[in-house]
Amino acid sequence: MMKTFSIGGIHPSDSKISKDCKIEVLPVPSKVFISVAQHLGAPATPIVKAGDQVKVGQVIAEPAGFISAYVHSSVSGTVKSVGPRKDLAGNNMTHIEIDVEGDEWIEGVDLTDTLVTAIPEDNKAILDKIKMCGVVGLGGATFPAHVKLCPPPGKKADCLILNGAECEPYLTSDYRIMLERSKEIVVGAAIMKQVLGGCPAVIGIEENKPEAIKAMTAAVAELQSTAKGYEGISVMTLKKKYPQGGEKQLIDAVMGRQVKSMGLPIDVGAVVQNVATSLAVYEAVQKNIPLITNVMTITGDCLPMEKQHNYKFRIGMPLSYIAEVAGGVPAEAAKIISGGPMMGKAIANMDATTVKGSSSLLYLTAEQTVRGVESACIRCGKCAEACPMGLEPFLLQKYARNSMMDELEENAIQDCIECGCCLYSCPANIPLLDIIRLAKGDVIKIIRGRGQR
Amino acid sequence: MTQTIIWTIAILTILGAALAIVLYVVAEKFKVEEDPRIDDVEKELPGANCGGCGQAGCRAFAQFCVESEDMDKCFCPVGGNDVMQKVAAVLGREVAAKEPMVAVVRCNGSCENRPRTNEYGGYQSCRVKAALYSGDTGCSFGCLGCGDCVAACQFGAISMDPATGLPVVDEEKCTACGACVKACPKAIIELRNKGRRNMRVFVSCVNKDKGAVARKACKAACIGCGKCAKVCAFDAITVENNIAYIDFAKCKLCKKCVAECPTGAIHAVNFPVIKPKPAAPAEGAAPRPAASTEGAARPVISTEGAAVVEKSVKKEE
Repeated sequence: MMKTFSIGGIHPSDSKISKDCKIEVLPVPSKVFISVAQHLGAPATPIVKAGDQVKVGQVIAEPAGFISAYVHSSVSGTVKSVGPRKDLAGNNMTHIEIDVEGDEWIEGVDLTDTLVTAIPEDNKAILDKIKMCGVVGLGGATFPAHVKLCPPPGKKADCLILNGAECEPYLTSDYRIMLERSKEIVVGAAIMKQVLGGCPAVIGIEENKPEAIKAMTAAVAELQSTAKGYEGISVMTLKKKYPQGGEKQLIDAVMGRQVKSMGLPIDVGAVVQNVATSLAVYEAVQKNIPLITNVMTITGDCLPMEKQHNYKFRIGMPLSYIAEVAGGVPAEAAKIISGGPMMGKAIANMDATTVKGSSSLLYLTAEQTVRGVESACIRCGKCAEACPMGLEPFLLQKYARNSMMDELEENAIQDCIECGCCLYSCPANIPLLDIIRLAKGDVIKIIRGRGQR
Repeated sequence: MTQTIIWTIAILTILGAALAIVLYVVAEKFKVEEDPRIDDVEKELPGANCGGCGQAGCRAFAQFCVESEDMDKCFCPVGGNDVMQKVAAVLGREVAAKEPMVAVVRCNGSCENRPRTNEYGGYQSCRVKAALYSGDTGCSFGCLGCGDCVAACQFGAISMDPATGLPVVDEEKCTACGACVKACPKAIIELRNKGRRNMRVFVSCVNKDKGAVARKACKAACIGCGKCAKVCAFDAITVENNIAYIDFAKCKLCKKCVAECPTGAIHAVNFPVIKPKPAAPAEGAAPRPAASTEGAARPVISTEGAAVVEKSVKKEE
């Protein structure tokens, strides 16, 4: 019996069209714009100025707080300017503009393909490296990885869960790295497992990716038989259900434990990291390569097979440049999404650049993006059935429209993970998520304000 | 039969009398002393419970007025000076007249001035739209056009102009309660001095982008060139963050800045028309009327998802 999370969830078509496209390396453009806000938390502070020479992998912005991350140059060349530029959503954010000259890396970086299996013993040094290399969670939230790997005193990790669910339709970047970089991911898992105090590690993969399961199982078996420190790593096949990749859902599926309201995964002894993060940890610790690349999917139903791609990109590349290299924006595309169709964001500005967490350029046709006309709630309860957090979206949206903050808090709106299951399942086309997301922000502000007083 | 009626009446009378005594005793014993002036003040207030004064409602405001030492802190924007004079009379105090205010929309990004770069098809609410992205034009500071201010106004003083896609304030109905100011996620609406004979001069733009960026996004944007500040003889204009701001307390309504502004971002409203200019289409530097009805028809807002990028998005790098 395959495991999955216990409540709610939906089954959208998985549409993994680009799953057989090998990862290609994108050529470096003549100019990059690197954002200083590539992670959850405070935007980093730039430490370079116009005219500075930088090399690939050089730190160009420093963290501005505990929950923040280093940002490195993804190219070598001259810094042209440091200033505001419109991001994905069209809002101004500080970007560092660099004119590319050659491809000269900083010293001490191992750019060979050799697999380094021996894990360093000093945990503190490992954490330092992860922090210095600017590794953030690549599953979507881009939470700084070193923060998650240091459980607060008194709490102990019982299990490291590697998220290979990739439950968002269309996205295939995690799938491709699980096929092509499986051993590196396992080494990364072993490193994180050691840092967390030697707890077991489980790689959770959904059943619709049999090749990935096979590749990862083989990689685990091989490393366990040839090297030390790989005990307790296993692969778990999970039933296909969205949002399996949600942190709390994955903990429920793998460990059968539930994180309580406003709690953290570490409260139940779990640490969840994406497989792409694991790869970034491997590169940071074993190869000294900072996080300046990631894999993104270029896909969509309106794209012919030869234009579907999985690209290894560097941060700071303009999206319009990537779209052009990939064969142009198809004429049928009415909406371009960064991230999956369920939780991704529509791109308002194609001149925006890639960030650490970029995972796709998804072209949707006008037909696919049509929103039906909103009608009255018929109390069918489909949204409550679909909600993986056990909330009642129909009730929440009603309270939210009337700004009933106490009722919203009582009904745990702060637990919403914004997965969009309610909106997907609503037959009356009520913009549940739009309304709930806004009210959730207000309620969380109230709760935080109370804590400070 | 008669006896039953008599008994019933007797019992009910005794019961009623007994309970009346209980109620009287309780009422006397637990009496809450309340200043009778609160009621008197409340009678003078408009009773809209709009919250424009900063209190929870008219009753709360009345209580605040009675308890407050300083009458300058109490002001009912809806009732204005008339009501405040009456309130002061009730309380036997003096109150200085305050300048009447009016809500001013500081965006002139009509469809013609500010071309749409993408289509928004999500939930029609400015707050939702602002949380998702910067808006369906190149300007990330301007009006989003979903009408949250219209919904917030209790006095029916704001309406959307279908020709420009911008809200228009009805000066007669506006009470300057400030509900629209709070509702606007882009902080475009400002309460400004109503001005002598309703004449006002203000910068109708809040774009903080650098001049070239702002100008590219919107023809009527303030580019922060500072010409207006130089020409102003009364030191009323400051340019900060690439945006000019006219201090209404210092402005003497000379309108020199209006003529100087290269983009027509400074508006002068309610000034008497001196003479109709025969040849208007000059260098594009002509001052614009506040609620200009020029501009193309409103673009069709599709019912598609959150933000639809225009199909013909072409890179111009």
